[in-house]
Amino acid sequence: MTLFIVFLIVILPSFGQQALHFYNVDQEIRVEGKIQKITMEPRYKDSSPFLILILEQKNTKKLFQVEISPVWSFDYDFHKGEHLMVIGSLYSSEGMGQNIIAREVQFRGETLVLRDEHGFPNWRGGKGQMRRKGKGKGKRY
Amino acid sequence: MRKYFIYILSALILSPTLMADSFSLSFSQNMTNNLFQNRFAEKDQLSTFSFYLDKNLSRLSLYAEGSYSYLFENPNLTYYVQDAGMDYLHPLNEKSAFYFSLDGRGAFYRSDYSDFNYLSANFFAAFKSYLSQTSIFKSNYSFEYKNYRDSVYDFLSHALMVSFDRYFQTNTTFKGEIDWGYKSFLHPYIYEGEVPIEGHRYFMGGRGRGYSNKQDQKPYQTITQTEAQGIQVFSLSGLIAQGLGNTIGLNLSGMKQWVLSGQNPFFFIEEFYAVENPSYDRFSWDGYQIGSQLTFLVPWNIQLKLGYTLSKKEFPGIESLDLEGNPLGLTRKDNRNQIEVRTEKNFPQFSVFLSYSYISNSSNDLYFDWNGHFFSLGIEWNIPLGARQ
Repeated sequence: MTLFIVFLIVILPSFGQQALHFYNVDQEIRVEGKIQKITMEPRYKDSSPFLILILEQKNTKKLFQVEISPVWSFDYDFHKGEHLMVIGSLYSSEGMGQNIIAREVQFRGETLVLRDEHGFPNWRGGKGQMRRKGKGKGKRY
Repeated sequence: MRKYFIYILSALILSPTLMADSFSLSFSQNMTNNLFQNRFAEKDQLSTFSFYLDKNLSRLSLYAEGSYSYLFENPNLTYYVQDAGMDYLHPLNEKSAFYFSLDGRGAFYRSDYSDFNYLSANFFAAFKSYLSQTSIFKSNYSFEYKNYRDSVYDFLSHALMVSFDRYFQTNTTFKGEIDWGYKSFLHPYIYEGEVPIEGHRYFMGGRGRGYSNKQDQKPYQTITQTEAQGIQVFSLSGLIAQGLGNTIGLNLSGMKQWVLSGQNPFFFIEEFYAVENPSYDRFSWDGYQIGSQLTFLVPWNIQLKLGYTLSKKEFPGIESLDLEGNPLGLTRKDNRNQIEVRTEKNFPQFSVFLSYSYISNSSNDLYFDWNGHFFSLGIEWNIPLGARQ
């Protein structure tokens, strides 16, 4: 009980805290297209490299660099030529063109939720797994 | 050991420098008409409460996860599992990376299953590389050591996996995988004489107590320790995945496994719904499995999965018995059909899922000739605590 109270005291002030703000929810867009290139690149200081997809938009043929997650999300395999639908925050940077920080990716009938609605990461540690939301645990059949 | 988990958890949550980056809570309610997965079906419900938190320190990530499961009809099978670990990513170049994780786990059951309480250590190393933009090579190694309260189950295991996939412009992916594994039971037993027992069903796995159907008590056989015993398995797997736009995906998969050496040291093995049994795992069988899965994204961004799996397994070292517990002189063989339906919806701060499975298992050991229905309903609530990046 004591531990729980201390936990609340420490945790509660952090709710709603604005950290360094890279994901701009006002700049969210939805892009559908085909993967043209896959690479792993460092994107943030003191962070693991990210899986980056160069996506060609379906109708306009515009190219976007899509940040997926740190490459420890080993579970999902993307390939050049695959169709994707991405929802994410758009930003431009000098020399890198149009960039999207992906929040949600749809492909092959699955949705990967990479971040929450405010852009907070949803990936997690442990055998390179992305958080499998709502997945039942411990089934042995 | 439990004490150390508490220290690690407290440090992760409370220390200002180690303030967790993310925290999530989940709850799932599971129902089945056949908890023990045998012909004498018994209903039960299982409620599971879990938490997860992590902290990223540069390329190192610390995480902890706890899960408490309560069984309504069999409360003495209630259990708590605690995980804590760290992982690290080492990029080699822009196309390849290594990944390492080190994890400790403790599982604590109430009285009926307390022999299966364990502490374990796991090491996992993986390598992933894009050989080209359309093909991926993966390899991993895992090591596991489990120390049980009843030392008969203690084991060490090693597993190696190598896979290669190739994507074609028809939106089709072909994948091939080779797996090898070795498991060594550190203190297996041999059977000596017969001793009658009182009916108590939960300890059947591995101790050779025979069937414990309440109307049909059977003797079990006493056991003594022997040298370590190893089981070596090898498997080949293949997968074809076809994408139909962004919203539909179809997978067909097949796997064939061989036991290269050794056999299960137990007289009797079984599996329980949602409760781990150390005598029944990938090292216990020889055979094959084929499966298919269709995934859809339906309106309102709801995910729907339909799956079917067929398996034929033989259990080397396990002799089939008749319903009175007499040996039949046959190695146990099971054929299984399983269908599964799952739907999931993600909301901004939480997600919900509903799943249903039906399993029909036929066996030359009639005790394991069974079928069962399994329902699950769950919710997960995510609370971001760290920086947005």
